[in-house]
Amino acid sequence: MVLRKDQIEASLLEENKLIKDGKLKEDNPLDSSETFRKLCEACRRGDLKVCQEMITEGANINARDGFDYTPLILASLCGHFEVVQLLLESGALCERDTFQGERCLYNALNDRIRNLLLQYEYSKSADPLQPFASHINSLLARDHPQTSDILVTGAGETFHLHKFILSARSPYFSKKLSVAPETTSWKLPPAIPPQSFGIAIKYLYLGEIPNDVGGGPGTGFSEDDVLEGIDKLSRQLEIRNLWDGVLESGDRRLARQRRTDEVEKGRNQMEAWFTDNVLRHKVIIDTVKAEDVKWDRNNGIFADVLLRAVESEDAMESEQPSEGIERPRIRDTPGPLNGIPVGPISQVSRSPSRSRRPRKSALFPVHRAMLFRSEFFLTMFSSGFREAQNTEHLQIIPIDCSPDVLEVVLKFLYTEKTDCPLDLAIDVLFAADLLLIEKLKQKAAVVISTLGNKSMSQIPARLDVSEEVQPEQPELDIYDVVRAGWLTRVPRLEEFGARYFAYRLESYIDEEDFSDLVRESAARIKARQETDTIELLDDIRYYLSERFRLRFEDSGLEDMMEEEAEQAATAALESEHAAESKVPEDEGIDVSQVPNSEAMAGMGHSEYQLMNTTIRTLDGEIAGDELEADARNYQILLGKIDGLLDKLKLDA
Amino acid sequence: MMLAGRGRNKIRPPRRGLGTNDNVDFDSMWAELASSLQDIHNKNASQLSFEALYRNAYKLVLKKRGDVLYERVKEFEEEWLANEVQPQILEVLSPSLLLASTGGSTITTANEKRAAGEKLLRALKQAWEDHNLCMNMTTDVLMYMDRVYCKDFRKPSIFTASMGQFRDYVLRTPLQPGPDHQISIAQVLNAVILDQVRMDREGDIIDKSLLKSCVYMLEGLYETEQEEEHLKLYLTSFEPEFLRASEEFYRHEGSTLLLDADAGTFCKHAKKRVSEEEDRCRSTLSPLTLGKIKLVVETELIKNHLREVIALEGSGVKYMIDNDRTSELEMMYDLSARVDPKKEDLKKAIQARIVEQGNDVNNATVAATQAPPRPSAPNRDRADGEEKAPEKPVNLQTTAAINWVDAVLRLKDKYDIFFTQAFQSDQGLQTAFTRSFTDFINAFERSSEYLSLFFDENMKKGIKGKTENEVDELLDKGIILLRYIQDKDMFERYYKKHLSRRLLMKRAISMDAERQMISKMKMEVGNTFTQRIEAMFKDMTVSDDLTSQYKRHVAQLGDPDPKRAEMEINVLTSTMWPLDAMAPYSEGENRPRCIFPSQIERIKQGFEKFYLDKHSGRQLTWQANMGTADIRAYFPEMKGAKKTRELNVSTYAMVILLLFNDLLPGHSITCEEIQAQTNIPFNELTRNLQSLAVANKTRILVKEPMSKDVKLTDKFYFNEQFYSQFQRVKIGVITAGNKVEDSTERSETEKKNNDTRGGVIEAAVVRIMKQRKELTHQKLIAEVIQQLTARFLPDVNMVKKRIESLIEREYLERIEEKEPPAYRYLA
Repeated sequence: MVLRKDQIEASLLEENKLIKDGKLKEDNPLDSSETFRKLCEACRRGDLKVCQEMITEGANINARDGFDYTPLILASLCGHFEVVQLLLESGALCERDTFQGERCLYNALNDRIRNLLLQYEYSKSADPLQPFASHINSLLARDHPQTSDILVTGAGETFHLHKFILSARSPYFSKKLSVAPETTSWKLPPAIPPQSFGIAIKYLYLGEIPNDVGGGPGTGFSEDDVLEGIDKLSRQLEIRNLWDGVLESGDRRLARQRRTDEVEKGRNQMEAWFTDNVLRHKVIIDTVKAEDVKWDRNNGIFADVLLRAVESEDAMESEQPSEGIERPRIRDTPGPLNGIPVGPISQVSRSPSRSRRPRKSALFPVHRAMLFRSEFFLTMFSSGFREAQNTEHLQIIPIDCSPDVLEVVLKFLYTEKTDCPLDLAIDVLFAADLLLIEKLKQKAAVVISTLGNKSMSQIPARLDVSEEVQPEQPELDIYDVVRAGWLTRVPRLEEFGARYFAYRLESYIDEEDFSDLVRESAARIKARQETDTIELLDDIRYYLSERFRLRFEDSGLEDMMEEEAEQAATAALESEHAAESKVPEDEGIDVSQVPNSEAMAGMGHSEYQLMNTTIRTLDGEIAGDELEADARNYQILLGKIDGLLDKLKLDA
Repeated sequence: MMLAGRGRNKIRPPRRGLGTNDNVDFDSMWAELASSLQDIHNKNASQLSFEALYRNAYKLVLKKRGDVLYERVKEFEEEWLANEVQPQILEVLSPSLLLASTGGSTITTANEKRAAGEKLLRALKQAWEDHNLCMNMTTDVLMYMDRVYCKDFRKPSIFTASMGQFRDYVLRTPLQPGPDHQISIAQVLNAVILDQVRMDREGDIIDKSLLKSCVYMLEGLYETEQEEEHLKLYLTSFEPEFLRASEEFYRHEGSTLLLDADAGTFCKHAKKRVSEEEDRCRSTLSPLTLGKIKLVVETELIKNHLREVIALEGSGVKYMIDNDRTSELEMMYDLSARVDPKKEDLKKAIQARIVEQGNDVNNATVAATQAPPRPSAPNRDRADGEEKAPEKPVNLQTTAAINWVDAVLRLKDKYDIFFTQAFQSDQGLQTAFTRSFTDFINAFERSSEYLSLFFDENMKKGIKGKTENEVDELLDKGIILLRYIQDKDMFERYYKKHLSRRLLMKRAISMDAERQMISKMKMEVGNTFTQRIEAMFKDMTVSDDLTSQYKRHVAQLGDPDPKRAEMEINVLTSTMWPLDAMAPYSEGENRPRCIFPSQIERIKQGFEKFYLDKHSGRQLTWQANMGTADIRAYFPEMKGAKKTRELNVSTYAMVILLLFNDLLPGHSITCEEIQAQTNIPFNELTRNLQSLAVANKTRILVKEPMSKDVKLTDKFYFNEQFYSQFQRVKIGVITAGNKVEDSTERSETEKKNNDTRGGVIEAAVVRIMKQRKELTHQKLIAEVIQQLTARFLPDVNMVKKRIESLIEREYLERIEEKEPPAYRYLA
């Protein structure tokens, strides 16, 4: 049900009042930081990459700008589907029955975006940290696999707890345990009811503080006792927020907000703890010696397992002074490197000649309790295999990825954060696939999708075949991306690849690799027996038509004209000049309505003339005007695809 | 371009080969995996590294070798099961078991067989548990393959596949080659389990948990790899055999039990068996079978024998009812409810018994009324008064009536107890009860009358000294019987008759109780039913007012005649009161007017004037036969100081006695003379004279000759020596009060009732036709019956006759050439 306008206005008024009174935190605070401005700008233009970067930099995606626009509203208003998707996946809110939410839906440029917005109900996007919090909270109840390392007893009740969580969440425990890390039990002061401690623990484990604190007849403590106990504990453990939380009940929205803040804070504490302890105690050691590392069970950071990752050879090489040497792409490299990814040990033995210096391994002292957010680890620690057994020294478990990648994975597990540089993205994707962390896979895929990606609709087509310098230097190989998508079953990547190809088809269509890829795609289908088409090519065709159709449409024409102009200008003039002309207007929302003439005003009349005169089609013929050229280019590309199919003897 | 400057130095080659044409050293990796699997199966997995195994499997799948890996693992399992597990099972398989399951005769003792069976069960349980454990670990290691390869290629997970293998290679492998003897372990297992269950049923102690784990195994295995719920091996291979065996067992048990045990034991046993089977499903077999095995027990043990058990001579339902075996009846009900939601057999048995007992009551009543031949005492004697001796034969009928009602109520109570305590207040049974009660009560043609008499008796005497609640309860019981009575109009007729006597003779003990009764009837039978009865009450109150008004009127007249007799009047609306019943003369012969003595006549005329002034156009008819009078009489020869006595006599007796006022002492007057002077109907006269001159204690007159009968020539003297120790003497009429009608009276009542019914039917027909205008014969009859059933069950012939009569009177006409026949209403 949709609220009527006046109802929404009334609730908005109320909301504003609450915010003014300081009772309620604004869902969409005004943000005038530079990062946020950039984010908004990118949302207007549909620049996926900048959006991703700004989000990673920490811009508040639910803030609003000086005109009361949130990034999500901007993106949906301007019709950038991918950006909207990205924002939603990153936690942008579009909640029905709120002013901003309804505004966002109302403004959506087309139904596709509107439906996407509707798909992301509040519950899905509201609290991206929910799985994280519930995992930590579930540790309290979980007794298999056993991960607790400290026993708290008091008044007949025992709590099985985790030192690292206590230490991360409570300054008191942090101090206590750093003095005596080997502590395995702690006695509750007898005056404090176990119910109080139970609530405090729940709080520390990011659980929700119950409305009813318990106590009363039959429990041996009155409610007041319990409350008093909570008060004492919150002071002793230096978690004053707990006490505030218990005192405050208030309305649902406030409670939700408080909870969100609390989880956010908890996450940050975990992150700080992760950085200060796990990462700081990372051990870099020669691979051959790695197996001999002995960590005592009682260690200062309460780690109960060591993960080992071996640096890849090329990483080592790149660390050497000769950094910057252009290496050929791996898939062109013959030899074992191109082979199966093999375990670190055997790799050392099998390619000793390539090791110019001893290979290094990184050992991360970590906690099983956090690791088994991944099903891989959960199964591992629950099974009857070696890894699940308690040994005197910590088990060392090799993980088949590079230390950098492992760090990204661990950070995700400990903090739900993915700061994944684009160049690591594919590796992270594979690692996540290996470790069965579906969410990280999706996040890695999101990162990959930003590859070379300004707005897709704005990518200049490399129509000019004679152009020598490629405009983009992708950080990842697009073939790898598509294959990785196939292998790790992230369809999003295949789609992305298809778009990527479609918008640059003329530079790929003739490559041998491309036809290989098409053949692989066809083979996939044969194996599955699902359809009789080649998925990749179908997608490419679809995006190709999108690419060219845009040009035939009025709204897109000006954009294209502009891009064309830029193209021509790049060829003819200093790129600086062109970049200048490319910077869009302030009101990016209206970009598509900017009159042609205005866009043209950015460049000299002569260049405009020049551009007009040098329109050529892909086959080098001079076309009468752009439209004609586009139409012909489209036909040429389609023809080439057909040719390719013929060549591959595929039927599609 | 933003990215243009970054150059290639950032490009990192992906660490994984992304092509598909890479060579994977499948064989070496598989060798490693296979040896690890071997370790797992040998329970030697603790030193294996999960990570390494997982990684190997992961890589093989990633390199598109999932299919080969999958097949290899399957092969491995197959070999393991066929070469390691199967022989172990075969080893414990003793030939006796094999023989037993092929149906061959067994020479081994039960104990041996049992031991062998348990051995097999244990071995299977062990094998199954091991297999599960190994496969869980294997699945863990091959998790990635399950997730990716099996999902993509729609293969069953390796766990599922291996379960199928267990089924095929352990359970289903034929033991003896050859097409004839397709005996497999599964079949032997079935036989063993069935054997154990049979022992359990026979009271032996068996290892239930062992059985349970084997059943659990069967439940964990499926016929296909889609693992559809209904294709569990348990359901496909074990359960049918189990049910078949159980069927046989219970069929046999049922017939032996029927021969040896009585119904109570049978019920107990059957109930025990059902709950035993339930327990067995829970603790030993699978809950899936619960419903089915219950059905088997119910069909074989209960349903097929229930009728015979119910009918068992000397212990069946009849016995239970007669001996109030509530708990046994409850069990019987329980069993019936299991097999037949309508409980037809039980219902029939109980109904038969109710009707039987009801008829017994009816017959006993008839016998009681007929046993002592009734004296020819005129039971039409309508003189007022109360019988002094309830043991008199005239009263026998009344007592019988009361007894009848009591007996019926006792019966009803008895079944009510069964109903609530044994039959769980089952609605269906209640209707059956009601029908049976209705049947036998209505089979007894005097039920309406007796019931009314019952009320009458209680209103007059029964409720004396009872608390409000008790009265309430009593009335409720009566009302329940009323519910069963079909001819409610008959009851109404009697009730009115009896009520009018109570009211007029002031016999009712408590007016509250009367009103309560009416409101109860109103609730039970409806407004129209009680309308007239209520009108009777209204008349009574109006009359009270009238009397006091008249008294005031007389006082105002200023005629302070001290000798003037006081008068109390009841003016009765003739349509509401059953006057004809009270004065049987009103129709036919002219009712002789009683000649009142002058002083009375004056008062009478005075009142008539007063009344007709008030309500002009009404006609007052004096019913002397219904009144009473108080007379103060002086007996000169009486012993004692005070020689006056107050006599309470009927109006007729008063008229007679007043005659003696004019007579000189010692003079007599003959009966004939009395009749001439008073014009009292002869039968009333004789009755009054009898009570005045014959009854011992109230011999105000002396009759000559002294005999019981009164003849016209008899002479009467005033008895001056009359003595009574009481100051106030009530002189009853010899027979009075409400009593049972004799058959002539009865047929008369019926006749009258039928006349009334005729009117009611006609009214109903007209009502219906007025509304419908046209209606077929069948429908009309149906509607009439439907409308009238609340009051009585109309006789179809009577309805037909009434319709004819209405046609004659041109209320209706037949619609010509209409088929089926129909009528039209003529406005």
